[in-house]
Amino acid sequence: MRKIISGNEAIAIGAYRANASFASGYPGTPSSEILEYTKTFEDIKVQWASNEKSAFEQALGSSIAGRRSFVTMKHVGLNVAADSLMSSSYTGVNAGFVVVVADDPGMHSSQNEQDTRLFAKFAQVPILEPSDAKEAMGFMQYAFSLSEEYDTPVILRSTTRVSHTQELVYFDMHKLGGTEDKLLAKNISKYVLVPKNALLRHKKLLERNTKLQKLTNETPLNRIEQGSLNVGIITSGVSYLYAKELLPEANFLKIGLSWPFPIDLAKEFTKNLEKVIVIEELEPYIEEQLKIAGINNVEGKKFFPQDGEFNLDIVEEGLVKASVLEKRHKKYFEVPKNLPERPPVLCPGCPHRPIFDILHSLKVYVTGDIGCYTLGAAPPLSSIHTTVCMGASISMGYGIAKASQNHKIVSVIGDSTFLHTGIQPLIDAYVNNVAYTVIILDNSITAMTGGQPDAVSGFNIKNEPAPKVDLENLVRSIGIKRVFKVDQYNYKKTKEIIEQEINTKELSVIIATRPCVLAPIKIKETPYFVIADKCIDCKRCLRIGCPAIGYKESKAYIIEDLCTGCALCAEVCPTLAIVKGESNE
Amino acid sequence: MNKGIIFCGVGGDGIITASNICALALMRASFDVKKSEVHGMSQRGGSVNAFLVFGKKVYSFLPAKGSLNYMFASEKLEALRNVDYLNPDSKLLVNDRIVPIVGANIDEVQIEENLKSYSLDLKLVNFNDVAKQHNMQKAVNTIMLGYFSKIIEIDKKYFIRAISDNLSPKLIDINIEAFEIGFNLQ
Ligand SMILES: Cc1ncc(C[n+]2csc(CCOP(=O)(O)OP(=O)(O)O)c2C)c(N)n1
Ligand code: SF4
Ligand code: SF4
Repeated sequence: MRKIISGNEAIAIGAYRANASFASGYPGTPSSEILEYTKTFEDIKVQWASNEKSAFEQALGSSIAGRRSFVTMKHVGLNVAADSLMSSSYTGVNAGFVVVVADDPGMHSSQNEQDTRLFAKFAQVPILEPSDAKEAMGFMQYAFSLSEEYDTPVILRSTTRVSHTQELVYFDMHKLGGTEDKLLAKNISKYVLVPKNALLRHKKLLERNTKLQKLTNETPLNRIEQGSLNVGIITSGVSYLYAKELLPEANFLKIGLSWPFPIDLAKEFTKNLEKVIVIEELEPYIEEQLKIAGINNVEGKKFFPQDGEFNLDIVEEGLVKASVLEKRHKKYFEVPKNLPERPPVLCPGCPHRPIFDILHSLKVYVTGDIGCYTLGAAPPLSSIHTTVCMGASISMGYGIAKASQNHKIVSVIGDSTFLHTGIQPLIDAYVNNVAYTVIILDNSITAMTGGQPDAVSGFNIKNEPAPKVDLENLVRSIGIKRVFKVDQYNYKKTKEIIEQEINTKELSVIIATRPCVLAPIKIKETPYFVIADKCIDCKRCLRIGCPAIGYKESKAYIIEDLCTGCALCAEVCPTLAIVKGESNE
Repeated sequence: MNKGIIFCGVGGDGIITASNICALALMRASFDVKKSEVHGMSQRGGSVNAFLVFGKKVYSFLPAKGSLNYMFASEKLEALRNVDYLNPDSKLLVNDRIVPIVGANIDEVQIEENLKSYSLDLKLVNFNDVAKQHNMQKAVNTIMLGYFSKIIEIDKKYFIRAISDNLSPKLIDINIEAFEIGFNLQ
């Protein structure tokens, strides 16, 4: 077959060909599409979990049941599943178990740019780093056998560029032979990590490391490519492609299995070379391995940045700095300075907007969380004051409310994020009598990452009807008394309730129930328009930050194509100049 | 020699779909193709771009500044934002329109002047108007692709096949019609 596929699709195909039969994950850019592709394979049971730890352990359980299994997440997801990772490294696996983690150098859609290779070293599990879609497919397929042969979870590390780059790949859809499902493993000394067992498992792990050390120096995944220059380049992932394009005449040590690091191979490679350069995105992981082993004719971060995403220009600049390349690419044109930036914004009609307009006008302190609603921190709404990681809104709101009792504190959290890591902090707040207001922005979907269903959506990853959690019952069952449901398109009522609750000296939870206008279905009602004669140029409607509202010649106007008819602008306009219907222009 | 295209525009305006169809057409025309784009935050109405490199054999997919041959821009400000990827021989097709930015003032005249100041081979056409005339507001980018196929000199039959293979059945006819409208535009 000849097809243009992305790295994420390639990973799904690799798993299929390796006879995987179970997959779970939690959405997160750039990893989300892996399961979206996987779900098209009938023989793989696919599901979204409510967080990465749950997903990880589901897949581990399935592996112990004898089925090849994998789990997908973005880099920060592995923090949530770190507990599971660290100890499953001790238990090992039954059938092959692969942890697919997608890093996001450059933070296209993330809150940090941590490097998963360090996690692999920490947990002492092998990590594979494909450079492109074709490799991603092969590496994923191989990861399952590696996992079984060495009795270990295996991490497959992708990055935004690998996951989201599409390329032409020739492949077939044949499944590998010889990988029968195994029986459910009953082995208490292996799978019950009480200290006595765990001490033995730790010794096993160290034995495994010795074997893996041998493998990493011999595997074709770590390969030397001879060149004609007296220059060596040690590199992995997408950096390999940039370097190969810029300096194909160099000698290359391409790393595909990066932990354990192939030290002997690297010694062999660097032995007769005058100059060796390490090109790696983010942390100086490879460089440190080399230097610790006493290989001293290497330099990396001296020439290349430790932050941000690489591209051809950056790698070229580094190689020029290292004096192994003369600048080839010329920049001809400068982009004019001070071009207005075009940051992402909440969609026209987004159900989060009325809430932030209200919070803005009430001047409360808002701890935020991660999702589309994080955009409520951007001007003109500017009404979120902290965003750290998933679930942190309710717990940080707790801390602030306890510490500074004269401030009005509100925590905002999306439905998917609440189910991910928001429930426990809410329980803490209840049992410790902390008085503040939690608003659950229940748009009934995981919108930020592209509209994946969650436990309140009522359908599953395959679009089949599914049981759904009733948030109000869930919150009430904790024991919290002040629980309210609001429809934020009813602006006045919503404002009334929020105002009432922030002035109550008790914990309250407000569930805002309007669905997302983009997913699972696009909502577009009759648009609104501005009666120009009535517009007094007060700019109140511009302060809600709706991209469908423009401003020209001292008047606001509405872009019909974009307006979804949510009526928020009409609600806030003091002269009732905004009305429903087609503009008669 | 490999050739490169940058597609740029505003999140949600279909630029990624346009680049997908173009990639498929190039594949049909027997080129090796690599395409790179960024999903995520930028799709909520932010700046979006996608790079497409095609040729006999393509290694890297993130092209260097100054190295691209073509630009397909669905908006003028976004075209300007990405001119550093172009060189004096590049050809541009830009939809002659401005999408407002929340809270910012955009000086359309200035932007157009700037864009013209690079003396590039620039085609500026308001494809939204063209689409309106034909009552095809949903297929603006496909009309644009029809025109673009002539600029990059790729036979239209490859695009027609890409559209037929890639879009859902109920969208195929209208998109082929839209493509033809763009193709026949002078
Ligand atoms: C630990 C972790 N996992 C995943 C993500 C990716 N991610 C960002 S926001 C989000 C969920 C957003 O859903 P929701 O809370 O319902 O808000 P919405 O976007 O729908 O407004 C996810 C999965 C992340 N940032 N951190
Ligand atoms: S995708 Fe949905 S939740 Fe996200 S900004 Fe748009 S309307 Fe709001
Ligand atoms: S009704 Fe007003 S606020 Fe709502 S989408 Fe239309 S222009 Fe935006």
